[in-house]
Amino acid sequence: MTAPAPADVPILQTASSLVVLTTTTYRSLQALPFGGGANAPGPVRDLIAAALEELGRARTDLADATRAAGGRVQNGSNPRYAPVVAQALPTVRGPGDVVGLALTLEDVLAQTLVRDVVDLTSPDVRRTVAGHAAAAARRKALLLTLGALLSTGRSDLVAAPPDLGALPPSAGTVGFPDVLFPTEKASPSAEGAL
Amino acid sequence: MSPGLPRRAFLRGLGGVAGAAGLTALAACSDAAPAGPPAPGATPGPTPSTTTTTAPTYSGEAALVALGAAVSGLAGDLLGQAAGGAGQGRYGVVPGAVSAFLSGAAAQHVAHAEAWNRVLVAAGRPAVDGTPLTVEPALRARLGAALAPVDLLGLAADVTSTVAATVTAMTDQLTGASAVSLAAGIGPVAAMHGATAGFLLGRPPTAPADPTAGALGPDALTV
Repeated sequence: MTAPAPADVPILQTASSLVVLTTTTYRSLQALPFGGGANAPGPVRDLIAAALEELGRARTDLADATRAAGGRVQNGSNPRYAPVVAQALPTVRGPGDVVGLALTLEDVLAQTLVRDVVDLTSPDVRRTVAGHAAAAARRKALLLTLGALLSTGRSDLVAAPPDLGALPPSAGTVGFPDVLFPTEKASPSAEGAL
Repeated sequence: MSPGLPRRAFLRGLGGVAGAAGLTALAACSDAAPAGPPAPGATPGPTPSTTTTTAPTYSGEAALVALGAAVSGLAGDLLGQAAGGAGQGRYGVVPGAVSAFLSGAAAQHVAHAEAWNRVLVAAGRPAVDGTPLTVEPALRARLGAALAPVDLLGLAADVTSTVAATVTAMTDQLTGASAVSLAAGIGPVAAMHGATAGFLLGRPPTAPADPTAGALGPDALTV
């Protein structure tokens, strides 16, 4: 196994800062009655629980890679988006807002991880990050789908399993809008560096 | 990819996936030239066997890129055929969301296969012809046995999972900038297909703990 290079440290720290922020945001959303509580649609509640588990693994992997590269582990929230979340959280009024805020963060996280796959010098870390990018992309796809369904005003469409016959055809494609995963929203590598 | 390649190079990589910058490593993996005649006075070697073996069409990094083309192409073909069959009423009443998913995902997988092939061709290697994979017969048989929309979604979930795992697993072996960029951009999209299929099936939204589980390797190529 190739040890991660010091040049990878700021990349890993920035990715960690986004994972930390996304995790704390999901925890806040999970505490809401319509996020993780009894009034939440089942798929939204399940997605938040799965996301927290997956992000925990991502945080551990990124921390291990940061240490292996000789860097300090970033345990703080991303400084660019933390104020955005702080401003948005009090305005969350229902499941649609929960999904919308989560989607904003997951999109930035996924795009950053996708670009990190290209920028990282260590092949092993690149593969690890690629796995977490795929997981973030999965969550983005589900959030896009759930958000589109919630925006119709028919909460009965957001169910597991869904009533396939009642779903609009667009529910089958809204989750994957791009042929290649975009990166224009990827955070610069120095954004969350220590 | 060379260490320190600027981030903007990634965008170039996606826009022109066959860019020359990343092809050096791929071209270096071309099959070796045949050996020359023996030197005068050299001890003759054993009589060549009359049994001939066909050398693999792809080796090294080219085999990984060819694998990407083949697995994306197979996914595109299977999902496209499923969508076509659904349109012909072969699977009963297929909800619009299912038909749209099959058609939409198929089109993106086909585009991915074309992008992988452009990387091969730009490196002087032949594009992958068809879907030459060891898993192809079993997957085609599974499509042939499908009776209902849920069978198509189950097949789609498994196939897109294989694509995502395969592409993710190759990211630590690729070195050419174009190939790395392509893998980085394709793997997550295949994962999104899998997530959508899972949602339509009512499966839990959990990503696999091992994102490379079920990945195919170059030995899955039959060319």
